[in-house]
Amino acid sequence: MGRLAERLYRNARIGWTALCVWLRYKTPLWWDQLLRRDPAQRDMKSIHQRNADQIFNAAVSMRGMLVKMCQVVGTRSDMFPPQYVKTLSQCHDRLPPRDFATVKQVIEEDFGRPLEEIFSEFSPHAVAAASLAQVHRARLVDGREVAVKVQYPDIEHIIRTDLTASRRVAAIYQRFDSNPMDFLPLLDELQRHLKMELDFRREAQSAERIRGFFVNDPTVRIPAIFHEHCTRRVITMEFVEGVKVNDREALEKAGIDYSDLMVRLMRIFNQMILAHGFFHADPHPGNILVNASPRGKALFTLLDFGLAKELPDGFGLGIFELMFSMMTFNESAMLRAFRELGFETRNDDDSTLLMIARRMIARSDTGAFQGEFTEDMTDEMFDAIRENPVVKVPIDFVLVARAFALLSGIAHTLGQRANALDAMGPAVAG
Amino acid sequence: MAALVYSFDELMSEPAIEEPLIAGGVRCHGGYVGGEYISPRSVVRRPAIVAWRQRLVDDGHPLIHVPEKYVPPNYPNYPQAKYLLKEGVVEPVTRALTIISIVEGFGARIREVRVPDFAAEVKESVEGTALAHLANGLFEAHARDEAGHRNEGGHKQMWEAARDLGLAKPHVPGDVLLRLMTGSPVGERVRLYPELSERMENMIVMMANVLIVENFAADTFAWAQQLLGDPEVSADPEHAAHVVDCIARDEVPHVDYLTVALSELRARTLIGANGDEISGTDAVDAIFRRQLRGMATQRPRLARDRLRDEIRQAITDTQRAAVIARRFEDLDSGWAFPHADDEALDVLLTAA
Repeated sequence: MGRLAERLYRNARIGWTALCVWLRYKTPLWWDQLLRRDPAQRDMKSIHQRNADQIFNAAVSMRGMLVKMCQVVGTRSDMFPPQYVKTLSQCHDRLPPRDFATVKQVIEEDFGRPLEEIFSEFSPHAVAAASLAQVHRARLVDGREVAVKVQYPDIEHIIRTDLTASRRVAAIYQRFDSNPMDFLPLLDELQRHLKMELDFRREAQSAERIRGFFVNDPTVRIPAIFHEHCTRRVITMEFVEGVKVNDREALEKAGIDYSDLMVRLMRIFNQMILAHGFFHADPHPGNILVNASPRGKALFTLLDFGLAKELPDGFGLGIFELMFSMMTFNESAMLRAFRELGFETRNDDDSTLLMIARRMIARSDTGAFQGEFTEDMTDEMFDAIRENPVVKVPIDFVLVARAFALLSGIAHTLGQRANALDAMGPAVAG
Repeated sequence: MAALVYSFDELMSEPAIEEPLIAGGVRCHGGYVGGEYISPRSVVRRPAIVAWRQRLVDDGHPLIHVPEKYVPPNYPNYPQAKYLLKEGVVEPVTRALTIISIVEGFGARIREVRVPDFAAEVKESVEGTALAHLANGLFEAHARDEAGHRNEGGHKQMWEAARDLGLAKPHVPGDVLLRLMTGSPVGERVRLYPELSERMENMIVMMANVLIVENFAADTFAWAQQLLGDPEVSADPEHAAHVVDCIARDEVPHVDYLTVALSELRARTLIGANGDEISGTDAVDAIFRRQLRGMATQRPRLARDRLRDEIRQAITDTQRAAVIARRFEDLDSGWAFPHADDEALDVLLTAA
């Protein structure tokens, strides 16, 4: 497809999807107005679900920015109903790979020489393919085995097209809807995010930075980056194999004692989030591999630093204070922590923040906060925030809460807890 | 003889205060009666601990304790810390006070200690002892004292207030949590006394650790009161030192009940994991001595190494950093743990 035709197709598909979504909300509203029914009484869940399904299908077939947009929406439980969050967060970066010729072309363009001069072996079959890039197993001419992540050549053009189309649709919607939701901040966030993700040199730097945090910790491994074989569109890194962190059966088969796996893993993320203020913000199970130490303990390999995130100065301490005050239910300390993290209410109203904390704590397994942000608790928090739109939630907090919730999901698969406070404080015997 | 059995609510009962303690604008626990500071949850808890202690002494049992000679002085010491503040090097002191506040807060985790079934694991009765009240108020009261409860701040918030009053709300360095985390490595848990049930051993280790830390804290309180109460370097010497004094007073029952409970346990016969009888004296003393030696040896060494780094980090001018570091070292008392590794430590006190 030519670029113009593709642009037209993508514009039309985005426009059509947006129109369908909008009409699905508006038509029942118009009926309610006509029949003088209270629109607030209408159950919106099925409409949310149908819309989420349509957006999901469009994203999977069109790839590119839409997949990323779904992923961003999938993390914004504070803005979108659970049907969107649940459906669109499934929009994992697993897609059919592009053909080898495309990959070869990018490598040769970026390095200015034939692929064979760089790699003695290069598997034509991708190990994994995502919305922006795909990964191949290869061997450097010096014999080292590597994983090569290669960006799709047309992806920047696709993203530009999709962002322009999405902004246009958002502007039209805002013009014609009497009570529009402001999507522009979300699109701005997405644009910033994509700009970072598209520069693989940044990802390589993030990996190096995180490696530096664990230079004296033999239980954490970050694959070596071969900088001389990296460009803006290509990352070449050490090829690492291991067991997926939440695969109990495989962990047992590999002879890994995982009895204290979560406390060790939480300690790693605590160090990044609470202590260093720079963290791997996407700890889904596929990004954490485990191998056995000589004593059968878990050694962790962290993968994919495209979503590494810098936190503001003091943010880690703020998160710690919030968790700590929730554990002891010290309301005044909790309010101070909420404020320090950047939570805002319209009238400086403390009761809303306390209500949110109470609802979260009530959703924990034990009815008390013990240092773990479970998925249920973060869901509850975002439900409460959506119901009280006067609350402003800092995006950094959303990302940290999501990371802790993902870790909690891993913990529960292993029959353990993702207790951040346990992992940092002096051990309490039990 | 005073009563020896108390309910949870009795141990939690609060004194009637005339005025609450507000430290640095934060409502804290405890308060004042006739201008005198009264600790929280002290109406029944304090006399109860005295009664349990007296019973133990009357039965002729010694008390476990940490002699002063084993207590490492706070590092940096008062002249060192004062020197840093006078030189404008505030960060290491801020960091030290913040870490103290966090560690104090973590003391709340004592409420999570799982107490063993004494009826099954202790040969003699524990009725009317501090041991019998650990899970029935003593741990919970301790936890609340340390981390605060509901609307009242505890020692965590009080240390923060003392820091902010004395050092005029200093910037808290972002690496505080990193220091804390790298200072307490999560390793494989090594059994210290495998003949005991794991739960019994864990409880003794936790109580021993906390008791040792609380004893070491005595020097920290004196240090903080002196430093934060020094008008040459403190922004609000009177209030800052007073808050530290309040914390020190609150800590007394912690040292006392842990001392009594561990001593009660060492005066009994324990039933091991495989049903064998074990002398409580042997088990408690072995664990206590080992923890004491470890903590008294490691802490000063770690503190020295860290502070040297921190001074260098805090001062960009390397020449000035070297001068300050040298003077700082000169003020070091050079304290070291007074015993070689294989020596038995003197940890018993025969109370009158």
